[in-house]
Amino acid sequence: MSHPAHYREAHPLIFVFTHWINLIAIVALAFSGFYIHYPFFGGFMGVARGMHFFFMYVLLINLAVRIVATFFVKSATRLGTREVDTDIKNWLPQKLNRHQFIPWLKYYLFLKKDHPIGAKYGVLQKISYLFTIPLTLAAAYTGFSIYAPFMDASFFAAGTDWVGGPMNMRIIHYYIMWAFILFTAIHAYLANVEGIAPSRLIFAWKEEEGVQFDAEGKIVGGAGHY
Amino acid sequence: MAHEDHDVIYDLLAARGVSRRDFLKYCGSIAALLGLSESFVPQIAAAVAAGAKLKPAVWLNGGACTGCTESIAQVDSPDVATIVLDLLSLDYIETLSMAQGEDALAAAEAVFEEPGYILIYEGSVMQGFDGNTLRIGGSTGIEELEHAAQNAAAIVAVGSCAVDGGFVRANPNPADATGVKPYLEKVGITTPVVNLPTCPVNPEWVVAIVVDVLLLGSLESGAILDKLDDWGRPKFIFGQTIHDNCPRRGHFENGHFVNEFGTEEEALGYCLYKVGCKGPQTYTNCPIVRWNRRASWCVESGAPCIGCGSLNWVDVGAPFLNRHRDLPLPSVGNTQPGVVAGVVAGATALGLGLHALGMKASGRMDGGAPYEDMKNYDRKRMKKGGGN
Repeated sequence: MSHPAHYREAHPLIFVFTHWINLIAIVALAFSGFYIHYPFFGGFMGVARGMHFFFMYVLLINLAVRIVATFFVKSATRLGTREVDTDIKNWLPQKLNRHQFIPWLKYYLFLKKDHPIGAKYGVLQKISYLFTIPLTLAAAYTGFSIYAPFMDASFFAAGTDWVGGPMNMRIIHYYIMWAFILFTAIHAYLANVEGIAPSRLIFAWKEEEGVQFDAEGKIVGGAGHY
Repeated sequence: MAHEDHDVIYDLLAARGVSRRDFLKYCGSIAALLGLSESFVPQIAAAVAAGAKLKPAVWLNGGACTGCTESIAQVDSPDVATIVLDLLSLDYIETLSMAQGEDALAAAEAVFEEPGYILIYEGSVMQGFDGNTLRIGGSTGIEELEHAAQNAAAIVAVGSCAVDGGFVRANPNPADATGVKPYLEKVGITTPVVNLPTCPVNPEWVVAIVVDVLLLGSLESGAILDKLDDWGRPKFIFGQTIHDNCPRRGHFENGHFVNEFGTEEEALGYCLYKVGCKGPQTYTNCPIVRWNRRASWCVESGAPCIGCGSLNWVDVGAPFLNRHRDLPLPSVGNTQPGVVAGVVAGATALGLGLHALGMKASGRMDGGAPYEDMKNYDRKRMKKGGGN
């Protein structure tokens, strides 16, 4: 057992909120989106569309807040430390991330026995988290392109023409929802498969002691000095 | 205009059982369609009455089913639209022409020599086999189109086939069918094209465009081009979705749907969204203008819209009773997008399940494996003597 310590500095309170809002908005959007795609029970279309149009703005505003906050809020520089730096620096590739892409991949595929050193996040983790930003924007673009009040604007209509019409745009939007669902499933799995401390921290802001690391990724303390 | 012209047209209309009142009402509906006020009705009536003398028109048939001709001609019950089109000096129309063979071709040739006529083109442009998929009077369909398009003042492409190939160009498109506008752009002919998709075309739109282009002078003034969208479709006809003007829209918002045909929901006139209605992505004013002399239209008569006014409408609309189109997957065949998503999601779930078993077996579930004390990369470098 070598679980790193989970301190509040890893997820400052504002990010606990933005994460909650993301979760609620994505669940609401996926549910109402599925309903709009195929109304599997009666009497809900008006509400489903209202939900969809409300939460799409919630998700976009939340994304904007999250991006702005990353330049102003300080968060922990790596796992198992209370040392902080501006959040954006922990997002972009850090020194501890260098040369670690293949080891992480090998670890996930059981080709490497010991746990690779990671920075704030592992390489794959950073890539997939950052990928949610263009994914959200793509969902917004394809969604607005099939949303009556906006679809005739040339910015959206040009894209619709380019993909071959509104039906194709609808299907792309539908697949982006699936991409979110798959991302969420894999994310929830990987975050919790070695223990639920990450969930306790991000949802309830509860800390858990564990292994502590120094700036070089060396273990310097914590549970049993592993 | 001379008073006698009025008498001629009203005599003609009376002979076909159409009263003067019917005729003026019809001109009123054209005015409404063109976005003009009621005060334009006398002008339209006068223009129509004098129409025959203004510009000759030629109607060519490309690769299609002739349904658009049927839609307009409605031979068993001529209506005002038919008569108005009769008046438009249709000097040559392959399907309905009395003349045959050399005589008919000579009539067309006579028109083509004088620039300034209107060309109404029905059907797809079939380019396959060097154009030999369609031959008329000894030449290929594409030669005939190029010849006719050169001197035309404007081309009205009626029906989806003429717009972009329509159902003829649906996969696998062996005739290499395309529309008039894309074909002419390819061969460098710049005659303006007004596109009127749907399968078949609605006669009201043809009359509206002919009145606008031919009689109200919007071609000379250039105003017609301002009324077209990027695909050459008049915005006042193809500017809004069927869904937004649908009489069943209330049922859609209420969540009242027809789940299958032959049910009580269908009898109640509920929304046809779940049985594949393509109204939400089809831009035509069918719910407003309607069909068959404004008697009814597809959704009103109980059938989901199949999206025949969309570009490439068969490929993006089929299967017509499904919410989504099929995806033509290589070596799998036509597949619904939901099936693809389900397979990918199932594979992901299976993958995560197997991975979880692996995590369990390797004892990583309780905190993961022990951490490496340095990166593999650094260890290798140290072995090479590089130091850290």
